[in-house]
Amino acid sequence: MLPDWLLREEEYLPKPDRDAFIDRSIGSFLSLLSLFRRQGGKSEEKLRINPGVSLASTLLLIVLLSLARDYLFVAYAGALLLVMLSFCPAELILRVLKTSLPIGAFTFLIMLPSSLWGNAPSLVWISLKVFLSVVAVKLFVSTAPWESTLRGLRIFMPRLFILVLDITTRYLVLLGELSLHLLRALRLRSVGRNGGKVASLAGVAGTLFLRSREMAEDMYAAMECRCFTGSYPLGGAARVSAADLVPVALDAASVLVFVWARTR
Amino acid sequence: MVPVWTLAASRVRKEVSKAGVPLLGIGAAFSFLLMMFNVPLPGGTTGHAVGGTLLAVVLGPWSACISISIALLVQALMFGDGGILALGANSFNMAFVTPFLGYFIYRAIRDVGKGRRAEYAGLAAGSYISLAVAALFAAVELGVQPLLFRGAAGLPLYFPYPLSISIPAMVVPHLAVAGVAEAVFTVAIFTFIRRVSPGTIAAAPKPRLRGLYAALAVLICLSPLGLLASGAAWGEWGTKELGKMLGFVPAGMQGGLSFKALFPAYAVKGVPGVFAYVISAVAGAAVLVIAFKLIGLARRESRRKARMSG
Repeated sequence: MLPDWLLREEEYLPKPDRDAFIDRSIGSFLSLLSLFRRQGGKSEEKLRINPGVSLASTLLLIVLLSLARDYLFVAYAGALLLVMLSFCPAELILRVLKTSLPIGAFTFLIMLPSSLWGNAPSLVWISLKVFLSVVAVKLFVSTAPWESTLRGLRIFMPRLFILVLDITTRYLVLLGELSLHLLRALRLRSVGRNGGKVASLAGVAGTLFLRSREMAEDMYAAMECRCFTGSYPLGGAARVSAADLVPVALDAASVLVFVWARTR
Repeated sequence: MVPVWTLAASRVRKEVSKAGVPLLGIGAAFSFLLMMFNVPLPGGTTGHAVGGTLLAVVLGPWSACISISIALLVQALMFGDGGILALGANSFNMAFVTPFLGYFIYRAIRDVGKGRRAEYAGLAAGSYISLAVAALFAAVELGVQPLLFRGAAGLPLYFPYPLSISIPAMVVPHLAVAGVAEAVFTVAIFTFIRRVSPGTIAAAPKPRLRGLYAALAVLICLSPLGLLASGAAWGEWGTKELGKMLGFVPAGMQGGLSFKALFPAYAVKGVPGVFAYVISAVAGAAVLVIAFKLIGLARRESRRKARMSG
């Protein structure tokens, strides 16, 4: 015998509410995690270039680009980056352009008002420089997987710092996935109009923080059990091979062009 | 920024217990992820919070500094969205100014008020103000560029907008939207942590001289702003300025002291104005610190001698 209320037609229409923030937060976490998944599968590189050399070359190009005073060096850098892009697979080219073109366009838009009081030459100048810098960095990031980048950073930083960076990236994935689960749970439980939106989101962030603390303590206990004494031997020192001559030669060419542009 | 990082590294090693290293890495991951939350605000807008003050309160300001710097480094290197050359300035604004200023405002209000409400008020005020001040610093760093870097035709080489534009453009949206998101989110998260796991919020030791040094560092960095104020400061007029203002020069001042300082008007020959100004500020501060330290040493020596002979 079923009770009456069970036999009645359900007429619940949830009220609309402004909770796009949950979906947007989920979106940003998903894009973060997808970037990690993409990074993870890429361990084979066409040219075995030492990532430290690669990073140094990228930084050198960006610095020279920002210091350049006329279009000669900018044209050279543009040509160089275009050639490098042309060697890359199509999806990579698309990905690089997808980030750098909007950034260049945005810079152009921001600078546009300044052309009203005679600053028009800078408009293209700065936007082009910004665009090329972002292309350079994106190329580096897309061709050097994060682990090799970390090994390459050894030249610039103490080992302990690299250990911390290593831990950061691993826990970005773990905590990112946890956040995603929490946000999805919040999404599923958000029916109709809900009050206390900030408190709910703060609950997600707060839980994330508490879990971070627990994970840190667990990790330290595990490290101590495995006799961690503070030294961090970076396994498999990235070798410097003949392929590294290519970026070094290009760097030398860049410096020469820059100096020539400045002194002529 | 390098001295801040070096100091932060040594301080963290001393203060944070042995579990420091994993906590720094995981703290950095947390601060990175915190920036990805879309905070709903009244009016239907959303904002992002940096969480600098929150991290400073729960982890300590030095650990917060390193965690946020690492998060910024990862953002620049791993995602390649730009920001490599600006890393120093970004870290200064978000990893130094925000946590430290927020932390000191929080402590000041909390110690004066005493009680839960004072604590939350301190958190809200600290996070709101520190974010707005960080935006101000960023605006100054941008707006000062047309003054410093000009090309051959006198056109600005980099950022084209002067301070009169960059400051309101940066600070107003932060005061209106981002600061509110920061304050609201910070207090909400802190409330949650306090409710669920009150033991996590450790009582940090009372900051002693650290506050003074931090304030000093901030003042030194603000000193180039003095260059922008044209004319002499109130009361520091030379005889020429007085002559213009009053129409005559008071008789007593005409034959007065003419003191030729080492660095007249804070300028050094051959060095660009702003650089010399900041150098003077740093040197001046250092000279004062050294002077007081030597005086303190002299006092201690005389006391020791008095004790030995008496």
